[in-house]
Amino acid sequence: MTAPAPGSRPPAPRLKVFRWRAVGPLLVLLVIGVVLWWIFADSIARHESEQVGTQILGAKVEIQKLHLDLRHGKVMVYGLTVASPHEALRNLLQADELVADVDVLPLTEKKLIINRIAANGLRFGTRRETDGRVAAKSAGGDGIAGRVMAETREWAQQFKVPVLQLATGKISIDSLDPRRLSTLPAAEALGARADSSRKAWQASFEGLQLGPTIDSANATLEKLRHARATDIAALNEGRQAITRLKRASDRVTALERTVKTGVAGLQTGLAGLDSAKRRDYAFARSLLKLPTLDAPSVGAALFAPGTIKPFERVLYYAQLARRYMPPGLLPRAATGTKRVRRAGEDVRFPEERALPAFLLRSAELSFFLHPNSEQPQRYAGHLTGLTSDPALYGRPTSLGATGPQLAAGAMLNHVREIPVDTAGATLGGIRLPAFDVPGVPLRLDPGSGTTQLGFNLNGDTIHARFAIRSSNVTWARDSGFANSRLGELIWSAISRISDLNVEARISGALHNPDFAVRSNLDQAIATRLRAVLGAQVAAAEQQVRARVDALVSQQVAAARAQVTQVESRAQAQVAQQRARLDELQKQLEQRLREMTGGIRLP
Amino acid sequence: MFAIIKLIQSLFGALHSEGTPGQLAAGIVLGSFLGLTPLLNLHNAVILAALILLNVSFAGGMLGWALFVPIGFLLDPLFDWIGHRLLLAESLRGFWTSAYNTPIVPLTNFNNTVVLGSVVFAVVFAVPLFFATRLGVVRYRATIGARVRQSRFYKGLMASKAYNVYKMFRP
Repeated sequence: MTAPAPGSRPPAPRLKVFRWRAVGPLLVLLVIGVVLWWIFADSIARHESEQVGTQILGAKVEIQKLHLDLRHGKVMVYGLTVASPHEALRNLLQADELVADVDVLPLTEKKLIINRIAANGLRFGTRRETDGRVAAKSAGGDGIAGRVMAETREWAQQFKVPVLQLATGKISIDSLDPRRLSTLPAAEALGARADSSRKAWQASFEGLQLGPTIDSANATLEKLRHARATDIAALNEGRQAITRLKRASDRVTALERTVKTGVAGLQTGLAGLDSAKRRDYAFARSLLKLPTLDAPSVGAALFAPGTIKPFERVLYYAQLARRYMPPGLLPRAATGTKRVRRAGEDVRFPEERALPAFLLRSAELSFFLHPNSEQPQRYAGHLTGLTSDPALYGRPTSLGATGPQLAAGAMLNHVREIPVDTAGATLGGIRLPAFDVPGVPLRLDPGSGTTQLGFNLNGDTIHARFAIRSSNVTWARDSGFANSRLGELIWSAISRISDLNVEARISGALHNPDFAVRSNLDQAIATRLRAVLGAQVAAAEQQVRARVDALVSQQVAAARAQVTQVESRAQAQVAQQRARLDELQKQLEQRLREMTGGIRLP
Repeated sequence: MFAIIKLIQSLFGALHSEGTPGQLAAGIVLGSFLGLTPLLNLHNAVILAALILLNVSFAGGMLGWALFVPIGFLLDPLFDWIGHRLLLAESLRGFWTSAYNTPIVPLTNFNNTVVLGSVVFAVVFAVPLFFATRLGVVRYRATIGARVRQSRFYKGLMASKAYNVYKMFRP
């Protein structure tokens, strides 16, 4: 063995890239992973399904049991509960069992293609113990569902109708802020306008320079009085003076026209003051908490809060569908799955002739209505073509359900650029929930009746109708209300009415549609209201008019006086000068006629 | 508390291991991927496998992971922004569309803004992190390393049982 030569570097150790002895533990880790998946796959899938479902719908989705049988392409869901996104203690639906046939291969592309779902034991609107709303409780509108919920709520807010204040029959008036009256600035503007007109007219009048013309004409007249008929120069001078007077008269006429136009403008301003005052009366009247006395307003006040809810809910689902099933093939971002870290956004990249990220080709639904009654009625429904990429699937999503006293259908056509969502349902023989009539301490129990809903959202144009019909309405009244005369009258007006027909319609641009509600109770209540409250309303209106008058009358009177003064002064000035000019012209002509003996000289 | 002690143990264990500064730096870089990017993603399975299979400092990996988890949380808004920029870039749309519709690739969650942003950040950050860490370890060992090894603190720290677990995976 030889020692290394002094000064030579020791050989560098051979670099080992792989740690081969770790292959064993890695394989063990892999096996553990597979075993854990085998044990926990169902739980993980159940948990993920609940989480994604909750996130999509904005309401808690709960699954009792989920079993993945990927070998046979089946997923079984038992005990599905979907809470209502709008009602705290109510479920949207419950299902005993869902069996889905899943295409396994697209799962490697993270695409879920369900060929068929069979759903059994569906129930709608069942009670729940805990509040299942998620989107409705997120104050800032978190996630897509939260944002859609906030938007639809805001949309529904625009239909707030003043509630009838009939409980006490008292009419109160809110304070009237003079800054919100339009008459005051209008009067101020008119005063300023009158002042500027006055100045302008005065300047124009001075610009006429009538003084020298009149003085020269006077001098000529005087000269003519002492001149002989043969004094041709004097005669010529007289004619020239008349010509100058005529020109001055023309200038006065032009000024007069200007003054007339200005006066007409000021008169329009005065008329504008009157209409501003009328607007202020209307504004002040709106501050009164008056019951509206015309029948359509009564219908809106009574039933608008109740009838806007179905529209709001259908719109929520329609808008959710538009967010999750947008038309076109452009990349689209959606809130990512919740995790401890920031969720971020998942961007999908649909591609032509590729599978959509989610597709449910067909679902067969079997469900009960009135599940708690002695003879629950079984219904059947179908759902086809529910997909995240309608442009790829190429056909609209359709939903239908039929059964005793039920006909429902919906179509979400997002295949083309402008999405069209249509839904219609008629449901009869159902017990409609009793509700308090807004503003009136009366409770209306519609009993069993029929509800109808028609909904069409074409792009951003909405046409929707909701109707309730019942022929066995019962009324209950508040004990406090019974002691008032007003209460008695209202009660006597409607307590004998056993039919209820309410119809609400929405139409127009989605952001600001027209909303109308009418019912068979409108006329009855309106007539009674008019009889009872007419005098009080008139007195209150008189009172607010007096308040408006007190606030604006001084300024209006000042503006009116200023306009009158300016007008009369300008007109008087014009008239005075015209009279002087005419008089002088007349005298000159008279004198010339006398001198020439009526002979017209060249 | 235990986590902090373990972290300190890992730190000193790694610094005084027989591994080269390069191995330690490579381990920390791989660990930084685990810390910076959302953990439960397919790419992290590959990183973990690499950490186990490659002859890099496993302790360094654990140290990098522990150190970069809070940084990852802090930088999530930045990752989100980077991911947004990349995923919605017009010029890359074809690439993403093709990747999105290729089997297995979507399972990496590359189409999530935070995942993509953090992975891109970690990749870009890996090179300076590697060289900076390697330099740091070399300087440490050349300056105060020997003194720390002789200190009571170090001896007490390394005497605990947790250190034995670390020794199983030392390079």
